[in-house]
Order: sequence, then C-alpha cells, then structure tokens
Amino acid sequence: MANNEDRYVIIGASAAGMAAAEAIRQSDSTGVITVLSEEPVQPYFRPMIPFLISGKKSAADMTLIGQGPYSGTGIDVKLNSRAEGIDTKNQTVMVQGGDLVPYDKLLIATGSRPYIPPEIAGTEAEGVFALRTLTDASAAAGRAAEADHVVMLGGGLLNLKAAFALLERGLDVTLVVYSPEVLSQLMEPDDAVLIRDALNKAGLKIMTGCSATHILSQAGGVNGVLLDSGQEISCQMVCIGKGVFPNVNFLEQSDVQVDQGVVVDRFTACNAANVFAAGDVAVTFDPITSDKIVTGLWTNAVEMGRCAGYNMAGRTTEYTGTFGILNATQVADEPFVSMGIVHTSGTDYETHVFSTRNTYRKLVFSEDGERLVGVVFIGDISHAGLYRYVIRERMPVANIKTFIINHTLHYGHFLLL
Amino acid sequence: MAQPKEIFVRLDRCMGCHSCELACAVEHSQSKSLYSAISEKPTPQSRVYVEWVAPDNRLPVLCRHCEDAPCMHACICGAISRTEERVVMTNADKCIGCWTCVMVCPYGVIGRHLEEHKAYRCDRCPDLEIPACVSSCPTKALVYQAVDEFSKDVRKVASSEMLSGEGG
Repeated sequence: MANNEDRYVIIGASAAGMAAAEAIRQSDSTGVITVLSEEPVQPYFRPMIPFLISGKKSAADMTLIGQGPYSGTGIDVKLNSRAEGIDTKNQTVMVQGGDLVPYDKLLIATGSRPYIPPEIAGTEAEGVFALRTLTDASAAAGRAAEADHVVMLGGGLLNLKAAFALLERGLDVTLVVYSPEVLSQLMEPDDAVLIRDALNKAGLKIMTGCSATHILSQAGGVNGVLLDSGQEISCQMVCIGKGVFPNVNFLEQSDVQVDQGVVVDRFTACNAANVFAAGDVAVTFDPITSDKIVTGLWTNAVEMGRCAGYNMAGRTTEYTGTFGILNATQVADEPFVSMGIVHTSGTDYETHVFSTRNTYRKLVFSEDGERLVGVVFIGDISHAGLYRYVIRERMPVANIKTFIINHTLHYGHFLLL
Repeated sequence: MAQPKEIFVRLDRCMGCHSCELACAVEHSQSKSLYSAISEKPTPQSRVYVEWVAPDNRLPVLCRHCEDAPCMHACICGAISRTEERVVMTNADKCIGCWTCVMVCPYGVIGRHLEEHKAYRCDRCPDLEIPACVSSCPTKALVYQAVDEFSKDVRKVASSEMLSGEGG
C-alpha cells in the first residue's frame, strides 16, 4: 500500500481525473491529492453542457463534486492551473505562471479538444463555437439569445445534442453533414432511418453529403456559411462538431511517449516512471478487435481514470479496454444504443436486422457466428447492458443466440441455462 | 457494525406468480393502493422482473446494488449515488434520461419510465421495514437478510440435508 506521504498530482479535472482522485482516496486515506485544472470553474459533468444552451439546467446543476460517486474528501482542485510541461526526471509539473508542482505519482488526464478543420476558412469569427467547456456553452447560450438561425457543421452526437438544445430555444437549425447520413460514426445509414425521421419531424434541417468551405462574417460576427456546392446559407451562429483530438501538446518537451495520444500499458502506466494516463488523452484498445483507439466518451474516461487511480495508489488493476463505440442516448424522443462493431457493409460479419415502424435493431456476430460483437438498438433499448456484457466477455453464444437475435435476453439465461 | 440487509432470491421457491411485481409497483405509486394505482399517471412501475427460462424455471431479477456499481460510475450527470445503507439510488430529479445506466447494467434491471423520461430501479423501499416484494412473496422465495445471516441459513439447510442423507 502507498505510504501516507505520497503526493498524487492529476492534470485535468474532468471525468478521468476526478474518477482517479476518487479511486486514490478510496485506497489511500492520507495521501495528498492535487488536481490541476485549466478551467476557471469547479469540475462539472461535461456531457450536460448542452442543457446550458437549452436553458433547462444551470451551471450549478452540473457540479461534479459531492454528486454521484464523487464524495471523496481532501481532494485539492486548483483552478486556472494549466500544465505547460512535465519533468519526469525531477518529477515536477510546470504550471502556467511558472510554478513547479512536485509529484510522487502523476496522472495525465488532460482530455481532448475539438478538432477545427483547417480547410474551413473563417473559423475564428465571433459566433463560431466548438462546444467543449462550460465557458464555451455559456458563450454559445449568449450568442443564441441574439440569433435566429444556426448552422451546425458535423452530424455527430455532440452536434445533435446541441442542435436540439437550440431548437428548444426556438431557433432554426441547419445541420451540414459531410457523410451520407447523421451519426455515421455510430451506425450505418440504413440503421439511422428512424433517427433521421425523428430529427426531420423535430424540425431540424439536415443537408448531407456536403461541407462548409468558408464561414462568412462581418462586424457583428458570423453572417453566413459557404458550402462546397457554392450555396450560401445565412446564419448568425455556427457550431463545429467535427470530433476531438487528445491534448498532448504540453508533452512535446518531455520523454513521455505519444502516438496520437499518450501511450500506456495494460496498467495505465506511461513509459516514464510514476506517470500514468487515462481518459480521452490516452491511447486505449478495443477488447474485441485489439485495435488501438482514442475515445472521447465520459463513461470510458471514468472507467479508465478509476483504474489509473487504483494503480497509482498501489492497487494493481488491469485495464480491460473499451469499445470504440459505446453510446446510449436519446435524440428527438428516439432512444438508441450503439456498441461494439456496427459498421458491417462489405464485411463477413453475421448480421441480423429487424425493423418495425418504431423500433430497429441490428445484431452483429463474428464471422463464425459464435460470438456477439456489436449491437444497434433504436426505439427499444431494454436490457442493453446484458448485450454489452456478452460482447465484452466474448461469451460463446450458442445457447442464447435466439434470445439475442429476438432481443429477449434476460439475466435468467445467464444463470439457469 | 451489523451488515446491511439485502434481498436474496431462493431460486427453488419461485413459482412465477408475479406477486412481487405487483407489490413493487403499488409501493412505488402515489396512493399505495392497488385500486387507485392502476389509473395513476405517471403509471407506477415495478422494479422487480419475474423472468422465465425453459423448461420450467422462474426467477425474480432486481437491482443487486453492486459493490462496484457500473451504473453509478457511468452516469454522465451524477444522478446515481450510494446511500449510507449501501443502496445504489437514482435521483430522479437529476436524471436526464440518457440511458447510459441501462447500457452498462449487466443485470438488465434498470427500467426506463417513458412518461417521465427517467431511469428507475429498486430502491429497497426506504419507507418500509421489509421491502414490498419480500413481504408479498407467498413462497418466501425472496428473503431480506444480511449476508452473514443468509449464508448461515443456507449452511444450516445444507448440513441438515447431508445429515439426513447419511442417516438413511
């Protein structure tokens, strides 16, 4: 067990960082835990920021400390403290302003930041947002109050959630999607029909197969978007949701190994001694395909952060990886779950698809049909966790396959078959 | 410190009568009476599910209030926490209905209340001494005991069965 003098330093106060702090505190009641946050506000549940735009929740409703499992005491969160570099020889973190923070164990949990495509001109104009932080969301809410029409670039979940928040405020919203269909990362176009219908019905204008080349602006900020088709859309606000990439710039001068994200072993440790990484910033792996992946999901980040926290405090814990796709949510009153391998066009996976007027499901099995590897549920997502379990544990499915295909699997099948 | 009580299932006793489901829904209604509960809105929901496995097995499934609760850690808005009694509780006021908990629960026991757009699950009936499902079970398939008491009873039954087997 860790001794009571240990100084734990965590860079990043979001999902991975705070989950790690909690796990360290569970295992080590006396170690000194310092969390460095570059943000000016106390930690919050980042996935909730669209509610700030819709006005359904206040910033106070999103506070993390004291909520859910985050009840640990003696966790010192230092705000406005961006890490600018780390010295793994002397075991210190350089913080903005020049302070050096010494550590015995360090966690890199700096997360990710929005990808702003360089090929789009004019992204620095006032009224252009890439929603990542509470500060971004507050600013977007302010701009929305004066806007009538918003153009969203990108058809992923972040943009869809933000689009709904703006629709709820009564704004006109146009979604510009380069892919042939929305949510292309999470499902194939044929899988998304029900969701697309629901989005259309909700009043979202969707343009697929096109992208923006210029964001046009004048004195008051954004006043339009020019598409690659030559079409110009007038608007007062633009949101860019084109994915995220790991925050690793501050590691350039260090000897921490980076390959897209921070490279870690199965115990979340970096190549440098006493340095760990977790969450969006870390390179993790998919337990089914063994592919190296960087994910941008709260739930994944928490799981990996907890694992890192236990390892830092001396409780050796193996990280078992995560699915690149692991999403549950509800858009336009249409609940859906997408997990594992779901892009099956041009592959030999055994797939079973069932579609009714208001539900859709796709079950993806391995080529030999003996393992479940992916699931899309739309409309009826009940018992989704059981399917996740079957995928993750690579269970042989022979005796439960009918139940899986018919979406009638329940816990009794695990226990009594 | 005394161990907190939990709801155990004696698989050999369940007849699949669904009394527990009914009692659970009524206990989680506003009126707490079957006759009025039926017409209440939002519709009261049961948090225990009696499942059937061929050829002739029934079992009630309900939240295990896991020690390492995946739902609590996965929740993206901090709506799920553990009470002092070790009960994993969903705070309906905070729940935003994103269904992440449904996606990660390996027992499939988190329900979605469609009228309220909230997740719900067993809360071990905080207002009752014995949870409604347990008191309603006519065959005592559901037991409300601390782990040590329950396992002691199991051992007693097992040893008496072994003894009677030896004797004749």
